[in-house]
Amino acid sequence: MEIYLPIAEMSVQWIVILGMGLGVGFLSGLFGVGGGFLLTPLLVFYGIPSGVAVATTLSHITASSISGAVTQWKKRAIDFKMAGVMLAGGVVGTGVGVWLFAIMRRAGQMDLVVSLTYVPMLGIIGGIMLRESLRTLRARRSGNAPTRIHPVNHVWIHGLPLKARFRQSRLYISIIPPIVIGFLVGVMSAIMGVGGGFIIIPAMIYLLRMPTNVVIGTSLVQIIGVAIVTTLLQATSNYAVDIVLAAILVAGGVVGAQFGVRAGAKLRGEQIRFLLALLVLAVALRLLWGLVVTPADVYSIGGS
Amino acid sequence: MRRALLFVFLLAASPAAAEQLVSGVSQDLIQITSTYKGSDIVVFGAIEGQPPGEPRTPRDIVVVVRGPESDITVRRRDRVAGVWINHDAAKLSGMPAYYFLASTRPLNAIAPQNALTHYSIGLQNLQPDAVHSHHDYEPFRQAALRHLTKDKLYTETSGVEFLSETLFRAHVPVPAGVARGQYKVEVYLFRDGEVQSAQSTPLFIDQTGLERRLYNFAHNQAFGYGLAAVAMAVIMGWISSLLFRRPT
Repeated sequence: MEIYLPIAEMSVQWIVILGMGLGVGFLSGLFGVGGGFLLTPLLVFYGIPSGVAVATTLSHITASSISGAVTQWKKRAIDFKMAGVMLAGGVVGTGVGVWLFAIMRRAGQMDLVVSLTYVPMLGIIGGIMLRESLRTLRARRSGNAPTRIHPVNHVWIHGLPLKARFRQSRLYISIIPPIVIGFLVGVMSAIMGVGGGFIIIPAMIYLLRMPTNVVIGTSLVQIIGVAIVTTLLQATSNYAVDIVLAAILVAGGVVGAQFGVRAGAKLRGEQIRFLLALLVLAVALRLLWGLVVTPADVYSIGGS
Repeated sequence: MRRALLFVFLLAASPAAAEQLVSGVSQDLIQITSTYKGSDIVVFGAIEGQPPGEPRTPRDIVVVVRGPESDITVRRRDRVAGVWINHDAAKLSGMPAYYFLASTRPLNAIAPQNALTHYSIGLQNLQPDAVHSHHDYEPFRQAALRHLTKDKLYTETSGVEFLSETLFRAHVPVPAGVARGQYKVEVYLFRDGEVQSAQSTPLFIDQTGLERRLYNFAHNQAFGYGLAAVAMAVIMGWISSLLFRRPT
């Protein structure tokens, strides 16, 4: 059951690839994240060249995010204005990211940069979410009414200029924080082959204080936009998008995403956040492990 | 799929030699299709003009298949402040992307070191044409040999079998991950540590059919290809959400 990938120039067991797409698609539907931060390392572990893995994962992210976004859209749970503002920053960030990608590839420090930025970032985000969701879960169990997320006073955010009204999110805030978040996510998307949902969602909840019900749909729209732009840039500048690999991943991903969305509907917000926090922390630990543990072979063969 | 038995390049290394080598390859073209998962080619041949009744001295066959030349970058990780990072690298230019060797006996029993080095026979005698490195590149070369051997792209075996006094053959596995391009199949006849006769036959490995067209599409019309990839993802995502729609 092997199939040859024309751009990766290797044969793969397509059933394994399909399974990866399915599993990651399920998580992306459940949490509203693209799942790239799981899929890219999985593909590299399977032996797909990292450049192809990074570029092709974005197709999977696009498809499963659209699948999820349509469902969210029907529930009217998308703030298109917020997504558009973030996307404006995201497109610029993508361009910067593709440029940085080339520089780091040449220096051979791609893996290091990815790990060194991922570990603290995922560690902090996962930690905060875990603490918050546990507190809410405990409050619910002890019979108390669930306390609202403890408000952090972001005075500086409210002091920023260029305020705009986001009806769907019931917010009146400056457009600068969403643009900056979108920009950072765009950079990461190009460098690491991730949609960035695991950054956007906590940022929307804890920094922008958007209501949880619109967070997932809105982040999906932003992710779709960034993933499409990055796919086009990677295809034209690095020739790294493998359409056969993408088709298999997408086929698994869209099915998985539907089941994920359905499973997510049965869970409460804090339960989803608790599970996502565990997943984020697990990835951070895995990357930390790779940085610290003595490798079996200190030599590796890399691209030019 | 052509499966012609072709004898190409009948060349004798030294016309004065009493013995001559005739060899062929079971395939001169390997086409990589969507179901390609590696294949096996057979290199075969015969030693002609063996003088009858002459005292027998050791006689050996070495089969070498070389892939297209490539640049191999080897990186070494070192621990810096408790973290393993790529610290040093060497770029080895002109190394074959694929190297297969089969011989009748261990190489050091067949010929002296200088002959092996001269013909670059044996993994240990593969040297890059040029090296970009700040230090001694030997550990990096050894690492490259080790990794490529593990990936079955570099092989050294004693897999030449004699079917009769003069007929021999060797099976050459071509794994799925090989580079595309022109390969060289070389057959050497050694006697008393010297090359008596040698032949070189080209072998082409290329993508074909849909794979070839997709590869060309990706490189010649990159933007259109990118749009196609995006369109595929968008359409499949959309369709799935329609298929799974259920009033809940």
